[in-house]
Amino acid sequence: MSDQDKKGLSRRGFMGATATGAALLGGAGGRLGLLGGAAAVTAATSTASWAQSGDHASPAPGELDEYYGFWSSGQAGEMRILGIPSMRELMRVPVFNRCSATGWGQTNESIKILTQDMMPETKEYLAAQGKKVHDNGDLHHVHMSFTEGKYDGRFLFMNDKANTRVARIRCDVMKPDKIIDIPNAKAIHGLRPQKWPRTNYVFANGEDEVPMVNDGRILDEPEKYVNFFTAVNADEMTVAWQVMVSGNLDNTDADYEGKWAFSTSYNSEMGMTLPEMMEAEMDHVVIFNIAEIEAGIAAGDYIELNGVKVLDGRKGQNKQYTRYVPIPNSPHGINMAPDKKHLCVAGKLSPTVSVLDVTKFDSLFEDDMIDPRSVVVAEPELGLGPLHTCFDGKGNCFTTLFLDSQVVMWNIEDAIRQYNGEDVDPIRTKKDVHYQPGHNSTTMGETLEADGKWYLSMNKFSKDRFLNVGPLKPENEQLFALNGTEMELIHDGPTFAEPHDSILVHRSVVNPVNVWDRNDPMWADARAQAEADGVDIDDYQDSVIRDGNKVRVYMSSQAPEFSLPSFTVKQGDEVTVYVTNLDDIDDLTHGFTLNNHGVAMEVGPQATASVTFTAAKPGVYWYYCQWFCHALHMEMRGRMFVEPKNG
Amino acid sequence: MKRLVPFAFALIFAALPAWAAKIYVQPAEGALARALEGANAGDEIILAPGRYAGPVVIEFPLTLTGSVGSVIDGGGKGSVVTVNAPDVTLQTLTIVNSGRVHQPIDAGITLTQKARGARVLGNYLHDNLVGIDIHGARNALIKGNRIEGLQLKRMNDRGNGIYVWNAPGSVVEDNEIRYGRDGIFSNSSKRNVYRGNLMRDLRFAVHYMYTNDSEIVANISIGNHLGFAMMYSDRIVARDNISISDRDYGVMLNYTNQSDIFSNQVIGGAEKCAFVYNAHRNLLAENRFEGCDIGIHFTAGSERNTVTGNAFIGNRTQVKYVGTRDVEWSFDGRGNFWSDHPSFDLNGDARADSIYRPNDLMDHILWSQPAAKLLIGAPAVQLVRWSQEQFPATAPGGVIDSHPLIAAPDLAVPQDILLLVPATPLWATGASDDDAAHFKLN
Repeated sequence: MSDQDKKGLSRRGFMGATATGAALLGGAGGRLGLLGGAAAVTAATSTASWAQSGDHASPAPGELDEYYGFWSSGQAGEMRILGIPSMRELMRVPVFNRCSATGWGQTNESIKILTQDMMPETKEYLAAQGKKVHDNGDLHHVHMSFTEGKYDGRFLFMNDKANTRVARIRCDVMKPDKIIDIPNAKAIHGLRPQKWPRTNYVFANGEDEVPMVNDGRILDEPEKYVNFFTAVNADEMTVAWQVMVSGNLDNTDADYEGKWAFSTSYNSEMGMTLPEMMEAEMDHVVIFNIAEIEAGIAAGDYIELNGVKVLDGRKGQNKQYTRYVPIPNSPHGINMAPDKKHLCVAGKLSPTVSVLDVTKFDSLFEDDMIDPRSVVVAEPELGLGPLHTCFDGKGNCFTTLFLDSQVVMWNIEDAIRQYNGEDVDPIRTKKDVHYQPGHNSTTMGETLEADGKWYLSMNKFSKDRFLNVGPLKPENEQLFALNGTEMELIHDGPTFAEPHDSILVHRSVVNPVNVWDRNDPMWADARAQAEADGVDIDDYQDSVIRDGNKVRVYMSSQAPEFSLPSFTVKQGDEVTVYVTNLDDIDDLTHGFTLNNHGVAMEVGPQATASVTFTAAKPGVYWYYCQWFCHALHMEMRGRMFVEPKNG
Repeated sequence: MKRLVPFAFALIFAALPAWAAKIYVQPAEGALARALEGANAGDEIILAPGRYAGPVVIEFPLTLTGSVGSVIDGGGKGSVVTVNAPDVTLQTLTIVNSGRVHQPIDAGITLTQKARGARVLGNYLHDNLVGIDIHGARNALIKGNRIEGLQLKRMNDRGNGIYVWNAPGSVVEDNEIRYGRDGIFSNSSKRNVYRGNLMRDLRFAVHYMYTNDSEIVANISIGNHLGFAMMYSDRIVARDNISISDRDYGVMLNYTNQSDIFSNQVIGGAEKCAFVYNAHRNLLAENRFEGCDIGIHFTAGSERNTVTGNAFIGNRTQVKYVGTRDVEWSFDGRGNFWSDHPSFDLNGDARADSIYRPNDLMDHILWSQPAAKLLIGAPAVQLVRWSQEQFPATAPGGVIDSHPLIAAPDLAVPQDILLLVPATPLWATGASDDDAAHFKLN
């Protein structure tokens, strides 16, 4: 029930209670206890007081949130930062998308990050489109780097399902520093960092089945298709190794001992049509044995495909790299509990969550006669369409029920007791959400520091929940306060397309800078070029360097002026403008927008940014600062003179 | 015409085509498998009383007929009888003891994609994981079978009674399904008919997804976790079904669209008699929703549904509507019957003289203080409602029935069905008795 609904009902309840009370006090009905009924209504429709005060009070204007929320944005291709519990959106960080505001995808610095680890085939494809970079992405999962099972605030990692990439964001400046193509695999979906001992690897699932060598010689022969599980070296951002698997790969997670990674598969059938994908009663979870895989690499038991060492972990290969545990029925979410022991696999088309004991996984690799299902220690029936599970750190789980449109809170130990034949109900409570939840999160819930204070449901539809904005509607994220087994809905949060997943991280872990360090590697290329040109980009600069038909314009910006009120180039010159923001004050970002040239970029305090274009049109063109900076912001502008070629 | 069929003899009947024979088989080691190998297309194999070893596979069209006291025993491995050919009839057989492995879908009877037009008639299947797996067989007829599933305490370890995957045109009717997991599980299929089946002591009676253009008619669900879950399907007809003492929902529509849901009865016990979620352009008519915690939970922007002629009787909350739109629940001047509606019909038009708006304050009073029903027409109640009308709720949206009926539609559960309803459903007792394999009881 929304706050809005509650207000209405409360008022109604008040009116009703008054009228009933008055009528009954004067009549014969008092003994029927109607007053009690009316009072109960009022109580049931007001928000529990604990959820509005003390520990669970939402920050007032000017107060800071206790948690960061790092949000994916799906097909918008960016990462977002929210404050929790206020649900205030704090920032959008472009990653795979082209951003008009910041120039991401246009500045030389961003293009370098987007292209330096691009495969040659991608570059060729983009060149054929007249492009250098993709301008879309599908960013589903954002996860932070770990040290010993806890967030360490160094990096955030994320996937691009649309163009098969993995990106890393530096948490000091909240900008990407690495975006890499993943060879061989197609459509990176699930992504998780290794949790223990630290994030040496980022694990990434290829969802789409393709021929092992996808060069067009094999097309409609699905029996020859494979899927690739990828481990990215998280420090170098290179592909460490890949494992070929049977069936496709959906979501993934890793354990708290550093021994395993595991992935769900909804298409164990390797079906190509919807009925074929739905054929099996059970699909599976693949367990990846990291030590065995590393030993296999050391022993040379791999093939090399597109420069990547690829091991064969398919069924029937009799290798020690993988094991397959049958799970009903098209499993989706896979979530490791902070008790270090239990892995929760959501059944999607089965109303169950399968709980696997990861401490039993060794036995599957030691003895092939052991039933792979022996690692299943509970399989509670929770409701229709279970998709994802998160944790309160106190032994309870929260599972989203897509079809029932609810979240169910349940207890792992009780589910195990029930599985062992005891007559216990593991379900603690169920709450409606609006509407149809996918991922969910708890504060610090994917770490050993899960604190069970807030619960977030990320719902796929808002339907009629908000003012109508036309046929395209926002999604709806809902925040619940947690108090033991009580859950209280605090906020509805509409969002633009289309967050999938989020993590809620205590603010003590995240410590970004306020201004850039002048020695930041982001603009190392600009620095090297400036040195070659004899320009000191750390100081006031107003140099224009001509180098054949290339012109390099170095200017600094300090509110409310660019150091260069004008510069002159010739029609047809390739012009690079380097802007260094010499202001070093909190929140004093400048910009550089060149009128009628489609050129715009962000220049953060103490940052250097550059953009290259061809001065194809003669005439006078004003450039201006588009990021509000000063009382004389409007006056912060200058002119580019483009002399005609034949002038 | 003589064939090498040891322990069997063949008779040729003049009335049958020359190639069709009746082959009588006596129990012996491997007798059934040999008879199936030796038979010709069109033959009828008739089992004499006794035990026959499965698993067996039928590879060409024939009829396999059981007699009283004949049993095909799968020996706990795989599917007991697999039909891998078109136009096969399996009738009056007793089939037991399939494997217990879910991945290959071990079943009493498996009809593969080649088993077009299979007829499975009057068989008794028990102690199998899945009863009958219609695994891609088009136009099969599954009629009059009795299926008793396993009673493992771990519900999910049990199998479905009738498992339908990708079997367009198949008909499942007049079967009796008890124990096991879901009665009829239907997934990725179309143009199916599920009719007249009795389903008891299961997880879901009908677990139905992505099966368009199909009918679910006159089925009976008693004492299951959920009655009829109809999801992600278009243009279905669900009528004359009965749900009694089901635990969670009687009828669930989740993204079921352009469908006719009428003359169904949900009685007693369920958390929600009906749960309508993100379901559009349906007709919900002449249904009886009685005695649930919630009569109907209607939400997620379900739109363009016609709701008329239904009876909402004695539910703790008649309507749980979550949404911000206004919805009119009547059609052509005909609304629904609401047992808690305090109104008169002074003009005798069989419509209440005042509109019905569920979820007003009196709803809450009536379920929290049932004795207050005696007062429905009393001045105190009228005053509560009058004052609400003068000060309408500020919350937008809601359900209004402008033409409520003063009498419930005439629907009743037949007496012989009521006799099947236990005082306490199995789901409430947690009873199970096949668990020796799972739990070492100390």
